[in-house]
Order: sequence, then structure tokens, then C-alpha cells
Amino acid sequence: MPASDADALESSLHHESTILLSLKSISKTYTTGDVSVPVLHHVDLDVYAGELLVIVGPSGSGKSTLLNIVGGIDVPTEGDVYFHKQNLSQFNEQQLTQYRRRHVGFVFQFYNLVPTLTARENVVVAADISASPMSADEALELVGLGNRADHFPSQLSGGEQQRVAIARALVKNPELLLCDEPTGALDLSTGRMILEVLGNLNRELGKTVVIITHNSAIGHMAQRIVRIGSGTIAETNVNSQPIPASQVTW
Amino acid sequence: MKVLHRKLLRELLAAKGVLAAIISIIAVGIGCFIAMSSTYDNLEYSRENYYRLCHMADFSIELKKVPVGDLATLTEVPGVINVLPRIVFQVTASLEGVEKPLSGQAISLPARENAPINGIVIKQGSYFTDQRQEEVIINDAFARAHQLRPGDHIQLILNNRLQDLFIVGTAISSEFVYLIGPGGLVPEPESYGVFYLKHSYAEDVFGFEGAANQILGLLAPEFQSTNRVREILNQLELNLDDYGVFSTTPLAQQSSHWFLKSEIDGLKVSATILPTIFLIVAALALNLLMSRMAEQQRTVVGTFKALGYSNQEMFLHFIQFGLLIGLAGGLCGILIGYSLAGAMTAQYRNFFEFPSLTNQLYPRVIILGLLISVFFAVLGTFRGVRSVVRLSPAEAMRPKPPLRAKRILLEKMHAFWNSLDFRWQLVLRDIFRNRTRTLGGVLSATVGAMLLLVTFSMYDSAFALLNFQYDKLLLSDIDISFKDDHDYAAYFESQQITGVDYAEPLFQIGCTLKNGIHEKKVGITGIRGDARLTIPRDTAGNRVEVPRTGILVTRKLADILQVQAGDSIELIPVSGDRAVRRVPVMKIIDSYLGLTVYANFQYLNRLMGEADSLSSVQLKTNPRPAVTRQIYRELKQVPAIQSVNSIRDQKDKLQEVLVDQMIVMIVVVIVFSSLIFFGSILNASLISLSERQQEIATLRVLGYTPSEVGSIFLRESFCVNLPGILLGLPAGYWASKGINIAYDTELFRMPFTIGTMSWVYTVLLGILFTLISHWPVQKAIQNMDWLKALNVKE
Repeated sequence: MPASDADALESSLHHESTILLSLKSISKTYTTGDVSVPVLHHVDLDVYAGELLVIVGPSGSGKSTLLNIVGGIDVPTEGDVYFHKQNLSQFNEQQLTQYRRRHVGFVFQFYNLVPTLTARENVVVAADISASPMSADEALELVGLGNRADHFPSQLSGGEQQRVAIARALVKNPELLLCDEPTGALDLSTGRMILEVLGNLNRELGKTVVIITHNSAIGHMAQRIVRIGSGTIAETNVNSQPIPASQVTW
Repeated sequence: MKVLHRKLLRELLAAKGVLAAIISIIAVGIGCFIAMSSTYDNLEYSRENYYRLCHMADFSIELKKVPVGDLATLTEVPGVINVLPRIVFQVTASLEGVEKPLSGQAISLPARENAPINGIVIKQGSYFTDQRQEEVIINDAFARAHQLRPGDHIQLILNNRLQDLFIVGTAISSEFVYLIGPGGLVPEPESYGVFYLKHSYAEDVFGFEGAANQILGLLAPEFQSTNRVREILNQLELNLDDYGVFSTTPLAQQSSHWFLKSEIDGLKVSATILPTIFLIVAALALNLLMSRMAEQQRTVVGTFKALGYSNQEMFLHFIQFGLLIGLAGGLCGILIGYSLAGAMTAQYRNFFEFPSLTNQLYPRVIILGLLISVFFAVLGTFRGVRSVVRLSPAEAMRPKPPLRAKRILLEKMHAFWNSLDFRWQLVLRDIFRNRTRTLGGVLSATVGAMLLLVTFSMYDSAFALLNFQYDKLLLSDIDISFKDDHDYAAYFESQQITGVDYAEPLFQIGCTLKNGIHEKKVGITGIRGDARLTIPRDTAGNRVEVPRTGILVTRKLADILQVQAGDSIELIPVSGDRAVRRVPVMKIIDSYLGLTVYANFQYLNRLMGEADSLSSVQLKTNPRPAVTRQIYRELKQVPAIQSVNSIRDQKDKLQEVLVDQMIVMIVVVIVFSSLIFFGSILNASLISLSERQQEIATLRVLGYTPSEVGSIFLRESFCVNLPGILLGLPAGYWASKGINIAYDTELFRMPFTIGTMSWVYTVLLGILFTLISHWPVQKAIQNMDWLKALNVKE
């Protein structure tokens, strides 16, 4: 679909929604020694408050880099990122830290839990630095792990670990939940369970959820699907009838 | 407890083996610091209090005889607050049941109240009473050595007359904290004592009515700099010119003070250098460990930063590792240091006589110790985690890029490289790729070996000194000195004593040697041209013949006077006509005690206008104890004798003290050095082990046994430590040389020598420590779950 049509479609869908985040002509090039590797070229993207957006692309397409820039854990080489009209590209490190602390929750493919802390403690780590967190137990209840709070990551299954990671992202009450291949390390049924949790958070708590994945099937649960390839946005589709996560299959 | 603190504690517990190694190095470093600093404070505070209590003299002037009435003008010299005239003589003593003639100093004190300068502290009994004139207070160590108590009697030969004296008390004094007899190096309380007499009694027996032969003085605080003291003493010497000044001694050169101060100052230097060495090694080890830990936690760092933790918060988190390790090391160090200080202070009580010398806990030292410990630990941690914490969260969460597998230089030497087996190639690659770790290991081994060599060298030097002094320079068994100069008859009589195989006369004079503006008061010893019992030596230890004319000057004095062999200098005797003579310096010789000058016996006699005057006789005697006892019995009958000095006993005593002290020191240094090796190797090897788990697992899959895998680590350990040990040899050589130069003083010098076996022992111990340190590494390889390691996610 041509970009202008997509824009028209988006505006029709979201004419009443607020733009939470806006990427304007974002480029990113990694330089190691003499070698420069361009990863993103002039990407434009808006993320609307309260939407569930899935960014799909093959490995090496630049989707993780895009997510990192959105989440303020990486900075673009060129272009601007606006969050509530504030330009993140002009933020210094301290401001970016505050942005991540207040507004963003991350979920990673390999969970990134601290192995020496229990599930509850892993969640508290995030709650500790948050201004208005929910309680760690509440966050764990929300992901269905209230009874596993005192277990160490090594005592939990992959799905459970990912749910702890979601609880950790959630506990800070962020506006934006960024999930990098959240089902990448999980089997179908566990992966589906994770997607259900994310879907619920979007639907019931109104969290803006951005999922990046190489798995196109996940796009069916999203309200909008952005396809990315070779560092550019190939197409944007609006899904007028998202299916429940429980029905997603691959 | 905050969650991050829990994480910290759990991770510390998980790394307990390596941490224990690092903490032990820190603990030893801080232990040394606390021990030496506390002992320094113990000694220095005791010294200050003691000097204050006794009103320690700032100077003393030894002279032939001065009327006390003429001393009033001395306090008019600016800076001089007070003076005290004393009568001081070297005397011999005899005790019932003690065959050896004992010697010591008789010192006069006011009869009724303690002396205003160099007062005494009564330990047993009392001060003088009004009951009798013949009362004596003896120094406490001498009393203890001979089990003398107040109420006992002692016989002293005072002015050629045997006097029976009643002991009223025993005492100590700040001027004899370290009491050594003439020519001695260590206290010999059983042979040499101090006998305090009533001043009036001393006047009477020595024929010194209204006169004195020593003046003590106190100076105003603002006049106590070295130069001002020297100026005042020059002025006083000028004022006393008519009374035959033998010597002027500022406090800095007073024998007891000098030995005490040297020891205290030495402690201060050691308290800085030794702990710094240990703490640098610990900081390096911690740097390695924390780099590894931070590297292992790259993803955690990235995740925390993604969650919103700032760089500072991450830094603080990791720095707490260092903080806790520093605190743990510091606290262990305080415990070690405090006990060590107790032991060291107790050891000093054997040499130094104080009213009280106890081990105190100094909050300042403790806090400083903790701060230093924490500083070094935090420094090591900071350097280790800096690079990881600074990474952007996205970068930190990506796995570390694989090492740039660049060829090491050795690989370019194809013939050499290809001749190595696969394991050697692994070892060399790892060594050259982890340069910081390798350098840390080399440095630790260098420091460990250096410590060993320095200690062995001190042992060698101490015994070289003993050997030089008693096997090369002084070959007599007993030296007798007379109260006044005698003629050759005294020498012939000495030769006639049963059991004396051979005797040699010595003629000693006191004089000022002057070369332009440089001058020094010294003693000149006249020895016979064919002397066999005093043999001057050159720096190489070769015998130097005493020339018929001119003098032989020791190197240190030659430096002070700025003279060389062939120069001519002025000699002004302190007694007699005191006319200036010019004498040629014939050769520079070596000696380690005092500022020795030798001349030909006849030449010196002629120079002084004497014929065959002698002041002492050296004896070579039959070593059988019964014969020695007989000699002592005969010598006791000769009132003209001022002191009888058993060179053989002196040597034995010195040897005993040196061996005792040195063995303790060597054991402590070997333990410390082994800890450096152990800590450094264990740390580096365990880190390497954790980094190379997959490599080891692969080797195990291929069929390598744990000992074959272990041999790779052992080779690596040797490749790092052996060069370190070898580098430690020149480092140890130069450090020993530095210490030797630091001990080069007018009173005392050490020969610089490192025996062949010291080099050998250093290398062998280094190798032994490396082997022992490999044992836990080998155990870790044996116990490693290599199947799990194969499945590690990168």
C-alpha cells in the first residue's frame, strides 16, 4: 500500500487518538572502526496512545534498532523522535534515563532477568526507581504469577520468566510497553500466553504496546502492522478486526 | 534491604573463592599498615611521654673537668634554658657469684630530688635516702638480669677503689631506652649497667669536688632545629674551651635516642611502602575480577539502564562491591594488624626500656586503614566496571563482540610458532591477548619475589656485618680498657695472665679532624703495624696495612670531611696540648660502626708526644670456659681496668638477637609473599577459567583429561609468574640497595650483600608458591560441570 494511502487510512482510524510518539526521518548507522553499517534509512512512524502496534521484519531488518530508539536506549544518527512533542533526539543521557524510567517498559526476547534475584525482587528492581509504581505482587498477579513470586529465574519456565519480565515492565505503570521478540524464545502455547497478557494490558489497562517480531502471525492481534525491511518501512497496514491473542497461531 | 543490595550480596557469595583471595591480600596490606602505624604510635607516644617525664636532655657535652661554678654563663647563650652538671665515668662492677667482670656507667644525680634533666623513674625501692652516702640506684634491666633487689649490695670500682654500695632502688631513664655498651649493637643487660650515685658521693670518690665532666642541657622549643642546635653547641664549646671538651652530642646523635628514633622512623617508612605494595596488587586483582564480573553482567547492566537506571546508579551498584570488599579486607586487616602490633610492641619491649609500652588501638589509624582499604578496592572496581557501565543500554544488551582474533607477534615467527604444540599455542595466545591480566600477574610475582629477596638480603647484610665486625675486623676475645693511659708494662702484664695466648696494645685518643670548613670530633685508634687482633679492611674486605705515618679513615668520615687518600688534614687533640697537627690521610677503609680512624701505634704516640702509651689491650684467649673464668677472676683484681669487654659474648649475643629477629621477619615475609602469589594466581586463573569454560568443555569433549587441561593453566601461570619472579630479582636488588643507603649513618651502616643462596631461594620459593597456587585451580577444573558449559548461551 502506498504511504499516502496508509496515512489516509491511519488518520481515518486515529483521528481522535493522540500521537504518543512520532519518528521523523530517522536514520541509524553503526560504526565499528573503519566499517559503517547503515541500519535504518529515513524512517517516519507515528505511534498512537493506547494502540497495539506490531512491527514485523526479518532478522537484520533494523526493527530492534527502531525499538531501541523509540525506547530511548539508543539514539538515532539522524532525524527526530518526538514523545508528547518533546524531541528525544535532543535529550542528554540523563533526560533519556528519566524518559525510560517514567514512560517506557521493556520486554526482551531472552527476558534479561537478574539470575540472583527472585521473581518479586526482579520486579521490585523496576518499582524501586519509579515515581508511582504498582506493587510488585500486583504486577505479578496481573501476569498470573502471584504464586511464583519467591522463585528464582532458574526455577521458572521460559514462559514464566517472560511473564516476570512483563511484570517488571508493567510495575512502573509506563505509558509505553516495548516488546522485542517477546515470544522468540518460547514455544507456541507459551508464546500465545505471553501475547494474551500483552493484549490484556493493552485492552484493559490501555497501555500502548509495541511488539517487534519476525513472526507475521502476531500481526493479526494488532490494530496496526508495520512491515520493515532493509532499514525502511515497507508498508503499514491497519487491522480493523484484530483477533484475540488466544487465536494467534504459527 | 534494597533489592540491589540483595543482588550484591548473593553475587559476592557466589564469587567467594576469588574474593577471599583478594580480601586476604587487602587484609595483609592493611594489616601491615595498622601493625606498623600502631607500633609506630605506641613507640612514638611512649617516647614522647617518657622524654617529657624525664626532661630528656637536648644535648650533652663531655669534658675533662669543669668547675660547676663556671656553668652559670651557659644559660646566657640564647636558646639554652637549663643545664645540669654530672659526673659520669665508665666503671667496672662485681657481683657475688658472677665471674665475668661487669661494666657500666656511674652517673651522679642530685642526692635529694630527681634530676631536672634526664631524671629517672624508680621501678623498685626508692630514690636516695639520708641514711648513707654509699647508695646506688641501678638500672632495672641490669637488676633483673642479676636478680638484684633494693637492699642488696653491689661492688663498683670507683676511681681505682673497690666500693661496696647499697642498692636503694632500681630505675629506668629516658636516656637509656636502648642501652648499649661501648662497641655494642644490642643491649646486654647482663654485662652492662647504669649505676646512679649521689652527686656528693661521686664528687668525693672521683675527686670532683665542685666539678663535673658532663653537662646536660635543655633548649627552648624554637631552638631545636638541627642547625640551631649545632650553632648553640659550637657556642657552648667555645665557652668551655678551657675545660677540655671531648665531645658535644645533640639529642639526635645520642646513642639510645638514635637507635630508638631510627627504629621509629623505619616503621613509618615501612608503614607506607609495604601496605602500598600489597594494596596495588589487590587493586589490580580486584580490577581483573570486577572487569570480569561487569562483563558477565553486560546484559544486566543494559536491562537496568533500559528500565531507567542511570549510569551513576549502576556505578554506585558496582562500586558497592569494591566498598564491601574494601571494608571486609579493611576489617580483617585491622584484626590482623592489631594482633601483629601487639606482637611487635611486645618484641620491642625486649630491646627498649619504657615506663610503659603497651599496644593501643588508635581510632585515627583504624579509620585511615579502612579508608585506604576502601579507596584501593573502589579504585580497582571503578577501573574494572567503567567500560561496561558506560555502554549505551542497547549496546550493553548485545553480546560482547567476539575478540578480534588478531595474530599475536609470536605467530608471525612461523618456524617457532609451528614448532609449538597446540597447548603452548593456546597458552601464549591467552597471555598476549589478555595483556592487563598478564601485566597484573607479572607485577604481583615481581613484588612477591622482590619482598623475598629484600628480606633475604637484610639477613645476608646483618650476618655480613657480624662477620665483618667479629671475623675480619675485631679478632680478639676479650678487650680490656684502662681508666687512664698506661705504659707498655700494662700490656706485658696482660700477656702474663694465665690463659691469654696473645695480646695487643691499643692507644686511643679523642680529637677533632678538620678539613677546611668540614670538621668532626672522632676517636683515633693506634694499632701496631703487625696487628693481628684489629685488622682494618677496605671496601672489598681486604686487609689494609696500617701505614707508618698518617691515618686510615673510614669511608663515611671521608665523606663528611670531604677528604680522599693523599689529602692532608688537621688533627686537634681534645686533651693535652690541643695543638694543631697536620696528618696525611693514607687510605680510605670500610667499617660499619661509628666513624673509625686508625693510625700506627708508635706514630700516634709520637704525634701526641708520648712514648709507649696505651689505653687498652686486646686479648686472644684460650676458649675453654674454665680458662675464661680464671682470666675474669684475675682481671677483677686489677683496679686500673675501666671495662672488660668479652667480644666473644658480644658476638654471640648479637648473633642470637639477629637470628631471632630475622627468622620471625623471614617467616612473616614468606607468608605475606605467598599470599601475594596465591591471591594473584588464584584470581587470574579462576577468572580465566570462567572466561574459557567453553574452551575447556570442548577440550574435555575431545578427550583431554582434567590434568591435561590443568597443565595448560599451569603453563600459563608459569609463563606469567616466572618472568615476574625474574624481574623481582633486579627489583629486589635495587630495593635492598635503597634500604642500605637509607641506613648509611654516622653511627651505623650495613654492608650491602646478597648471597647466592638468597637469589636461589627467592626463585625456588616463587616457583613453589606458583605450584601451590595451582592446586585449587586444578581442583576447580576437576569439579567443573563442562557439559553445562557446552550449553551456555552467548
